[in-house]
Amino acid sequence: MDRAVHLDGITKRFADVVANDDVTLEVEQGSVHALLGENGAGKTTLMNVLYGLYEPTDGRVVVDGAERTFGSPADAIEAGIGMIHQHFMLVDPMTVTENITLGNEPRKWGGLAVDRRTARQEVRALSDRYGFAVDPEATLTSVSVGVQQRVEILKALYRGADTLILDEPTAVLTPQEVDELFTVFEELTDAGKTIIFITHKLGEAMRAADEITVLRDGEGVATVAASETTRESLAELMVGREVLIETADRPHEPGAETLRVEGISVTDDRGVTAVDDVSFSVREGEIFGIAGVDGNGQSELVEAITGLREPTAGRIDFEGEDVATWSRRDRIDAGMAYVPEDRQERGVVMSFDLVESGILGSHHDEQFTANGRIDWETAREHASEIVETYDVRPPDTDTKSAALSGGNQQKFIVGREFERDPSLFVAAHPTRGVDIGSTEFIHERLLDLRDDGDGVLLVSSKLDEVQLLADRLAVMHDGELMAVVDPDDVTEEELGLVMTGEEPPRRLDSQRVDGGGS
Amino acid sequence: MTLRDRIERGLARLVAASTAERFAISLAALFASILVGTVLILAAGRITGCSTATFVLTHPTPFGLSRLFEVGFCYNPVTVYDRLFLGALGDPLSSGWDPFGRQMALTLRETTVLLFAGLGVAVAFRAGIFNIGAQGQLVVGSLASVLAVLQVAPLVGGVLGTAVSLSVGLAAGALAGGLYAAIPGVLKSYVDANEVITTIMLNFIATGVVGYLVLNHVKDPESFATQTRTIPDHANVPTILFEPTANFSVLALGVGVLLVGGVYYLLAHTAFGYDLRTSGLQPEAAEYGGVNSKRTIVASFGLSGALAGIGGAVYALMILGKFQTGVPSYGFDGITVSILAGNNPLGVGFAAFLFGVLKSGAGVVNFATDVPPQLVDTLRGLIILFVAMPEFFRLLGGRMKGVTRRVNRDESGGETDG
Repeated sequence: MDRAVHLDGITKRFADVVANDDVTLEVEQGSVHALLGENGAGKTTLMNVLYGLYEPTDGRVVVDGAERTFGSPADAIEAGIGMIHQHFMLVDPMTVTENITLGNEPRKWGGLAVDRRTARQEVRALSDRYGFAVDPEATLTSVSVGVQQRVEILKALYRGADTLILDEPTAVLTPQEVDELFTVFEELTDAGKTIIFITHKLGEAMRAADEITVLRDGEGVATVAASETTRESLAELMVGREVLIETADRPHEPGAETLRVEGISVTDDRGVTAVDDVSFSVREGEIFGIAGVDGNGQSELVEAITGLREPTAGRIDFEGEDVATWSRRDRIDAGMAYVPEDRQERGVVMSFDLVESGILGSHHDEQFTANGRIDWETAREHASEIVETYDVRPPDTDTKSAALSGGNQQKFIVGREFERDPSLFVAAHPTRGVDIGSTEFIHERLLDLRDDGDGVLLVSSKLDEVQLLADRLAVMHDGELMAVVDPDDVTEEELGLVMTGEEPPRRLDSQRVDGGGS
Repeated sequence: MTLRDRIERGLARLVAASTAERFAISLAALFASILVGTVLILAAGRITGCSTATFVLTHPTPFGLSRLFEVGFCYNPVTVYDRLFLGALGDPLSSGWDPFGRQMALTLRETTVLLFAGLGVAVAFRAGIFNIGAQGQLVVGSLASVLAVLQVAPLVGGVLGTAVSLSVGLAAGALAGGLYAAIPGVLKSYVDANEVITTIMLNFIATGVVGYLVLNHVKDPESFATQTRTIPDHANVPTILFEPTANFSVLALGVGVLLVGGVYYLLAHTAFGYDLRTSGLQPEAAEYGGVNSKRTIVASFGLSGALAGIGGAVYALMILGKFQTGVPSYGFDGITVSILAGNNPLGVGFAAFLFGVLKSGAGVVNFATDVPPQLVDTLRGLIILFVAMPEFFRLLGGRMKGVTRRVNRDESGGETDG
């Protein structure tokens, strides 16, 4: 078979950091190729080179046998390459057709007006050819995330893409939608298209790809056929050492309730009810997990508990007191630690160095501040401790927070919050974008915290994560808690169904929401 | 690369510049402005007519070569810039330099008032607030200080009287300016009113109300001007080292320098400063870190206004000895001073000095040459524009998502995974 894409010895250097070091990638036409690697391995950088966003410092880009130099994505698109970014580049109020044809609309009246009818017909034809069930006239806001992703794919195809690059395409999807996406992959490759997708999930690479190229620390480690490898060997290639994929289930003894949420309702920024009459409790020595597809009210719920958003109704009892109207600072002082969902917006101040970011939230605490004066020496020691204990790289407290990779920022934040010695630990997506090694580490710490008798509220859209860690597990959908279950009693498929809003199976419904659990 | 890409790349380069690079950029901008200004002076000098040229452009004629060209200009750019900079400092290069001379006093006098105004604006900027209202706060502080001193000064005499009335005057200026600035602070915090608009409007209100008060309630009956009575002699700011008629006191400059240090310490070493900077840089992170954003906004505004108010007090007590309507636009100049200094309190000192030099130097140029004052003002404006623009674009770039993303990406080595 012909090679659709051949990246030959690509090196990409940023200032003094090498993001890609002599990486070679060969993708056969009509195949699905997974680019697998931990966070910061250089996967996205490599694809940005192929898509013309970066110019390589060294190396050749060969597309369909011809060497190309891309000055911008426009050049790459012209060469038949399309990229679907992790965050969709779509316009919400527009229709599917308008989004797909945006910038390339068929014209009429000598180019003066958009020929909407032709546009619609073309989009429908395209959608039908690949078996996408997409309504060309639906507005974007009215379709699911999975469909929006297909709109992105159609947009690339409409622009004449033969090779599609997808950056972490499954991150925002439910298990069912992931299945559908992989079916779409098959349809596309059957029609001769080539697919490269970026992922850090082993299972997905094994399932969907024909070939897998593993990147580690900016270097291409190996390219293997998916049918001839195992999860274990892939994990080892990614991390560079052996990895325990399962965390042992340790016995534990939950104690009294530390957090009790009762009938809480919260509105989002637009004033729409995002959390509707939710009740649950977290006990000492217990990890309470909340699973769900992003955007079903988890963020608002967590913000209400941690004091960043005022609930419109309900009680939040923390250690026996109703804290629903307490300020954020009072809640921190009372022993609530919080790993926020959006680390770069909230978790650290990007232009602060680690010493400064390390005392965020405790900068009025007497540990660091006496009579309003911050003791920067103590703060520096504190930051070095976090950096050392939680293996933050580079291990230099004078580094600006912004200069850390996402995974290392997350390790730093998680470390800082653990060091608070909290009685309740609220973690929103604590391992999102974090590599396997660090994920393992963070999971261990969460279990340690539980074993020490602290309460943990874990919100995650990764099903395997909540299933692995949680002692009791709730699924959130459309602002409501659908069911509270023992995670060992349910399958991923059953949970996936509940996540999409299906009624939970009868046997799952039997437990009370604030009830006994495991 | 699209135009947008190019602009963002340029701004990102500016945002990421180090302190030394920024200093070099400012210096280069200063020279560029002088270059452009020279062209302007020459052009203006060709357009006007004069009997003798003060500046002749020609070339040497060695070995008896014939002269190819000789162009005369009415204004000499070398003299203009020499007077503007060296003249403002009282000619430091000449043998009889008196560092405590009249011209130097004038320069430092302007510097001092701008120091307070600039510091006030800088504090607000660091908290993420655009305080265009420094002028209004300065005017209010100015009147308040004079009224307070007029009340207090007759009660205590002598050296003690000077000390008491000065402290009371500065305190009154700070309090009035601070309270006046707290208004837009409260409006922003609690009813989400944009501070740019409210502070601009409050500038007009300040001028109007103060004018009304002076005219109708505290006017000096013996004067035709809209002004208060003059403060007693012993309440004047004592002029040390400089001659009394220069209306400049090292004491006031000393207070300014102390406040520069104080504000720097506050921002860098206190928990309140941490609150303030975090709010300014990343409001969401501040909220997450338990910073009460509403209270921080009001407090920052108050502090900003208090500093501007002290500037007003110093202007009235040290320069005028009374309050008179038509306060020069120190508050607006303070915005430029702050931007010029990159909102760094230590930089405000230098920026205010540059402004002081230009203001006082303009007078020297007018005195020493035939260059029309309008042209001198243009030259001053050019210098400020050139020096401030890089910092201004830096400020702008720091607030643009696309630019900060670029800066962060370059620093983190292209890390965009996840």
